[in-house]
Amino acid sequence: MEEVDNIILHSLRSIGCEIDEDVVSLKEFNTEAIVACSVRCIKTIHGDVDLPNTLPSAMSAKFRMGTSLANHLQELGYRGDVGYQTFLYSSEADIRKIFMFLVDKLPKEVVETTEEILGSSVLLQRNIANTLSRQLSSPWVPSSLKHKGIAWRGKPPTWQREGTCCSFHFHSCNVSAPEGSGDLSKKIPKALKSYYQTNLPFITCQTQDYNDIVPSVLEKNAADVTAQMEWENEWNQSGLASRLSQQEYRDRKRQRILKRITDQLRQDRQRSEATSGSGSSQDLQQMLASMGGRGTGSAKTKGSRFTHSEKLLFAKDDDKAISEVTTVLPAGQTEEEKQKEREEEVNGLKDELTSLTSRLDDLDLEVKKFTASIQQMEEQISNQNRSNSEKEDGYKVKKRTLDLLPDAENNIAKLQSVVDSSAQRLINLASQWEKHRAPLINQFRDLKELSSKTESEAQLKLEEIKEFRKKMKQVQDDARGKEELAKQLHSEYERMTKDVNRSAYTKRIMEIVTNIKKQKMEIDKVLVDTRAVQKEINQLSGKLDRQFTVTDELIFRDAKKDESVKKAYRYLASLHESCELLINTVEETGVILREIRELEDQIESEGHKKVLANLEKISKDYQQIKKENDTLIKKIKGKS
Amino acid sequence: MELSQSILDGLTLAGETSHIPDKCFSVLVTRAFDGILDERHKQLIAKDPSFRSLDQAVVKEAYYSMVALVSEASKHDLDINSISSVLEECKYTNERIDVFNKVFTSKKPLMQILLSSVGTSPPHIVDVNWRLDYYIKNNHMERVNEAVYLIELKTEVPGTSETKDVQFSCTQEQLQDLVGKLKDACKCLEKISQM
Repeated sequence: MEEVDNIILHSLRSIGCEIDEDVVSLKEFNTEAIVACSVRCIKTIHGDVDLPNTLPSAMSAKFRMGTSLANHLQELGYRGDVGYQTFLYSSEADIRKIFMFLVDKLPKEVVETTEEILGSSVLLQRNIANTLSRQLSSPWVPSSLKHKGIAWRGKPPTWQREGTCCSFHFHSCNVSAPEGSGDLSKKIPKALKSYYQTNLPFITCQTQDYNDIVPSVLEKNAADVTAQMEWENEWNQSGLASRLSQQEYRDRKRQRILKRITDQLRQDRQRSEATSGSGSSQDLQQMLASMGGRGTGSAKTKGSRFTHSEKLLFAKDDDKAISEVTTVLPAGQTEEEKQKEREEEVNGLKDELTSLTSRLDDLDLEVKKFTASIQQMEEQISNQNRSNSEKEDGYKVKKRTLDLLPDAENNIAKLQSVVDSSAQRLINLASQWEKHRAPLINQFRDLKELSSKTESEAQLKLEEIKEFRKKMKQVQDDARGKEELAKQLHSEYERMTKDVNRSAYTKRIMEIVTNIKKQKMEIDKVLVDTRAVQKEINQLSGKLDRQFTVTDELIFRDAKKDESVKKAYRYLASLHESCELLINTVEETGVILREIRELEDQIESEGHKKVLANLEKISKDYQQIKKENDTLIKKIKGKS
Repeated sequence: MELSQSILDGLTLAGETSHIPDKCFSVLVTRAFDGILDERHKQLIAKDPSFRSLDQAVVKEAYYSMVALVSEASKHDLDINSISSVLEECKYTNERIDVFNKVFTSKKPLMQILLSSVGTSPPHIVDVNWRLDYYIKNNHMERVNEAVYLIELKTEVPGTSETKDVQFSCTQEQLQDLVGKLKDACKCLEKISQM
């Protein structure tokens, strides 16, 4: 019972019951303590219970309180017998039962929080709580005693910011540091290297304001990390599939973006020109041209003609505008006149502009026409040239044949031989060509096969690389998660109070379990024994019965003849009867003994219930109630 | 904590004996802390004689990565184990890791103080002056009879070394309201600290 009491006392103390340190068992509880503890338990289980925390002094109030406590217990689902007497006139066993029930019903938040795995947020919150409680308990220090608003306290000294006089805003600027100076595989341009070595200041000297160093460094790191992650994502998603090297991929992307920007800007510019007709976008045009030039050669050639004409147009416009400004500067006019004049001027200029643009368009058209006609002409010329040379060739052949005509026979024979020899040569060449051709074709086929094979291999490798990347990422994530978990669990383990009680309890429980096992085995043994005895008894009684009937029959048969045998028969009957009686008596004694034992147990348990003391208490309480009633009656009488 | 590849490269560089000799390494670590923590020491690394014979580009890169590592590690409040694992990944020897950890543990609070001063915060009250006026009557009323409190809060404002005064007047009820609010705030803090 000691362990049970210990557990009950421990949990009662943990919910805030005031129990003296030297109380070790429930036996030492008096009525007040019992009531206070049960009220506390019920209040912890049910938040909203209207019960006074301590036992009232008046007897009737005590009685009511006991009844309501009993009701609450029954509401909670207590099965045993419970009433006001359980609390007011307590017996140890009942109280233990009730407290066991109540402790079992207590909300188990504490246990749950230690069992679940704490998330990092919970850990952070605990950390915050710890720090806050430490700071709350620290004494106030006047601000003049703190250096830069920092107070150092405790041992080992921990700091704490109490004041904002020296804080500053997060402000970062661009800082740079040499990169890749240890990597021998990458070549750094000489100029850059000498800049790194001689001119680039150290990182701590790069900011204007000294306070900006840490923010700048942090921001640079964050920006680099983000850029790296973005790049990795993109490379994994689309970069690998494009089968370009990283550098090529980057170049291509840059070109694409530049092209898109230039296109967009050009479109917008044209649109704005169409609506307002103002030509102030010379700079933009230049920028576009330079961007095109930097981006790709093709973009430049594409836009060059357009930009050229634009330039021409705006150059003219600018000139004109300047001349107008210089010529028109009359003084002494009223605002309205000026306004009118300006409007006129603007109108005139607009007209001029439209006429100029239309003229320019016309001219453009003409130029186009002319270029087209030039091309046509050139084509014609080349055609003519070709026909000319053809005709010349024909003329030459005809002339030679004409030359050969006089000596026709001879010449024909000669020509025939020439033709023959050339035919022969042609055949020769063809056979030679065949000879060379066959191996070449074979080689070509082999190479083709090889290339297709390598291509497919490359494809496979690519797939593999992708898979490996995925796996790598997974493994990394896993490792990170596990590390985090390990850290959490470690801190959790460190936080945990190394409870000796717990291990003692478990040891005790194990002991009890083994004990129970032993006892069970013994009980089994006893049961087997009793069964064997029962069996023996049954066997013996059967044997006895059979023996008796046999003897009975034998003697009965002889009894008719012999007087002495008759007597013997009578003795036998009486012997049998008395033996039966004896057995019955033995059995009855056994029953009675058992009853006695039970009664003794009952007496003991009743003895535990402090009946006498309780009786005395009851009679005292009864007297008190009587007294109270008397006073009440007196009061009533006095009033009436 | 995440570090960019350039910083990791720089750390590896600083860990290689061929680039930064052993006796220079501890100087580099101390100089990195000095350079961040004290404005007067920001140039020390450039003048240090132990780095004269080395390639300045390497020293600059190693110095930058050291500064970045120190800032990030203090920001994330890393313990020695995590830092050691980071340095091990950069192929540091155990001696170098020990050297770094020794300096880091001694300077971490200072670094965190420095980091804690970065940011915006409302003014911090350091002192208060008050006066109680009793307002008897005015031009329109014969009897007013009210207590008026004049309160002057002395506050520290970020970025300036002098205190700034915040003045206001309030009636007794308003003052009580203010005190109640303050008590609520205290209770809130206590509740959080008891979690």
